[in-house]
Amino acid sequence: MNKTLRDRAQRLREEVREFCRHEMPAALRDKSHRHQVLDKDDYLQWMRLLDAKGWVVGHWPQAYGGRDWSSLERFVFEDELARHGCPWIIPFGVKYVGPVIYTFGSEEQKRRFLPGIVKTEEFWAQGYSEPGAGSDLAGLRTQAVRDGDHYVVNGQKVWTTYAQWADWLFCLVRTGNDGKPQNGISFLLIDMRSPGVTVKPIHTMDGYHHVNEVWLENVRVPAANLVGEEGAGWTYAKFLLKNERTAGAIVGLAWHVLERLKKLARETTRDGQLLIDQPLMRNRIGEFELRFMALQEVAYQAVESMVEGTDNGGEASLIKVRGTELYQEVAEALVEALGAAGIAYDTAALHSAGLPPLGDDDVGGILKEHFYNRAATVFGGSSEIQRNIVAKAVLGL
Amino acid sequence: MTTDIETISMLRDSLERYTAEQYDFLKRWRVLEQPAGYSAAAWQNYAEFGWLALRLPEEEGGLDGDAVAQGAVMEVVGRRLLMEPLLASALLATGLVVKLGSPGQQAELLPALAEGRLKLALAHEEQLDGQSCWVEAGQLTGAKQGVLHGDAANRLLVTARDERSELQVYLVDATGEGVERQAYRLVDGRRAANLRFFGTPAERLGDEGSPSAADVLATAFDEASVALCAEAFGAASCLLEITNEYLKVRKQFGKPLASNQVLQHRMADLYMLKEEIRALTRTAQQAMLLPAAERGRVVSGARAYICHAARNIANEAIQMHGGIGVTEELEVSHYFRRLMVNAALFGGRDWHFTRFVESTLKSA
Ligand SMILES: Cc1cc2nc3c(=O)[nH]c(=O)nc-3n(C[C@H](O)[C@H](O)[C@H](O)COP(=O)(O)OP(=O)(O)OC[C@H]3O[C@@H](n4cnc5c(N)ncnc54)[C@H](O)[C@@H]3O)c2cc1C
Repeated sequence: MNKTLRDRAQRLREEVREFCRHEMPAALRDKSHRHQVLDKDDYLQWMRLLDAKGWVVGHWPQAYGGRDWSSLERFVFEDELARHGCPWIIPFGVKYVGPVIYTFGSEEQKRRFLPGIVKTEEFWAQGYSEPGAGSDLAGLRTQAVRDGDHYVVNGQKVWTTYAQWADWLFCLVRTGNDGKPQNGISFLLIDMRSPGVTVKPIHTMDGYHHVNEVWLENVRVPAANLVGEEGAGWTYAKFLLKNERTAGAIVGLAWHVLERLKKLARETTRDGQLLIDQPLMRNRIGEFELRFMALQEVAYQAVESMVEGTDNGGEASLIKVRGTELYQEVAEALVEALGAAGIAYDTAALHSAGLPPLGDDDVGGILKEHFYNRAATVFGGSSEIQRNIVAKAVLGL
Repeated sequence: MTTDIETISMLRDSLERYTAEQYDFLKRWRVLEQPAGYSAAAWQNYAEFGWLALRLPEEEGGLDGDAVAQGAVMEVVGRRLLMEPLLASALLATGLVVKLGSPGQQAELLPALAEGRLKLALAHEEQLDGQSCWVEAGQLTGAKQGVLHGDAANRLLVTARDERSELQVYLVDATGEGVERQAYRLVDGRRAANLRFFGTPAERLGDEGSPSAADVLATAFDEASVALCAEAFGAASCLLEITNEYLKVRKQFGKPLASNQVLQHRMADLYMLKEEIRALTRTAQQAMLLPAAERGRVVSGARAYICHAARNIANEAIQMHGGIGVTEELEVSHYFRRLMVNAALFGGRDWHFTRFVESTLKSA
């Protein structure tokens, strides 16, 4: 691994750390420290802050306003932000559709969409999953039928994160039914204000509205909004999924929640003894630390192999499975260690600076994250699907 | 003292029939939406069917229900995720009145409890360790937290030290002067309260003839733990049934999810966990008749194992449902949250595990 690259990544990490410690606006920092519910404006502010630093599309080529980051820098950037408990970088524009557009889109599409993505002036949502097409994405049935210089789209998408805020939906649709299900899929950009688009909320068990059903009824989409070639959408979708799985954030998230567990254990007395001094807790934290070390090392070396081009295609799956599963277990241990505070849930307090019924000011947020992230092993390719990938693509089974 | 099998199966049947009609998942939504966090109407029905007299002695018109009888009720509570204070009031608090209360107190409280007019909640846990609430000249001072159904209760049973620094249980008017209640929702939609007492009038539960309050409390907590084991069994069984069914009907890649061997094996593991929960629940119920040390060992062992096993089942049920598993709309996440709350009641897993290990090593 080239030393200059490593040094660059290390410098970036220090810059990001500096930013998190000293430049984050206090209000946003407090909200994210408490894992408070963030609204669209919070996210806009956050994404634009990152843009002002030149980071939000740091991984894009310079030609499109990026910084040509290597996979390592990208990883380090996401990892460091997550370690500081920063807000989520909403990925749909900057990580998902943006790269698809600059890689496969027309000049007109690049001109039309990329600036709005970089500046987060337009919000995007990802219209992949359908009621019948979850893990089996190629089973999707939303139809797009050509009618002059338009497509007429009918179907239903589901689990569409933040569709309620979105201006645009990038959508996988079926334009043909020949041969394998992967054939005949196309990649369309749909204006959410088009007649026939209906967004219905789905509430998750944390009590919030992150995801939606998106119904498409005779929605007319200009043919100019087709990305690349008709019927080649699966290629673009796979390209995008590869980006979805470069999960630097998961390492940082696991670190963050483990730090919180240690802090709680140091501050909480139970049965006459600090938790951190109780053998069970010491043992548990020790096991987590060990697994975290393995995760971190494997992740780094995997990312380095990607930079060097010696990766075998299983690395992203490895990081995702190990990272999300560790994260979930630590979060579970943290909630358990909270005792009575870990089962009290005041959803109103999560929208304001209100205190939870019991415990520190971030306890409600810890629970919210714990609930939401039960889905971390489901979305972005479930743990089972990741294991299938490793078994097939890496082990040849 | 054991409740006869016929009484138990009648109890189970009537509860199952009632809840199937009146407390299915859709009807339960209306209960969840109620500000009280439980259904007053259902509570009244429970009283009419005699279920609130479960813990009362036969002389008082009760069923004198033992751990197995209580378990039959709690299993249905777990299957249907009933929101009413059956455990907090009808089992735990009523049990304390039966064992500790003076004849006068029993005569006053027990009929009201059985008729559903009176709901009691036990306030025990404190923020800092130990028991720092105290009573002097009939006045209670201190604070309690996390009192399950503490806001629905008309009267409270509060653990506190008396003038001789002995642990006692006191009866306090929950709505009277000198009580501050901060009520809130738990993650499963039930409610709890934090309480503060400022020289609140308090009457000791019991008299000279009563047994030691500390011993009675210890037994009562074990009894509540055993009840939670049975509730976990009910909830875990349902989760397994729901997930099993889902894997058969949900198709991906052109075939049912159930045809993936990896998921079949996971279900087989969950089935084994569920059977272990069943067996340990029964063992813990029987252990309630043993001497205190052995009882505690077995009950805590069961509780520690079951907390872990039930959580495992809940996590897996969500995972195997995919996205739908984390929604508010589907039962699965509600079972998950109920089990999460229960795991934190009356000693968490670590507490029970430690108690189990310590007493096993001592007795070995
Ligand atoms: C919070 C959240 C946000 C989301 N955001 C978006 C979004 O913005 N846009 C979007 O398009 N989608 C989104 N998704 C959808 C997500 O990608 C899907 O949930 C995921 O693909 C799984 O599909 P499914 O939920 O239909 O589960 P299923 O595919 O039905 O899977 C159910 C279970 O079966 C397992 N399984 C399936 N097939 C196999 C197999 N062959 N072998 C072994 N096990 C198998 C799965 O791993 C899972 O455990 C989101 C989901 C959630 C929960």
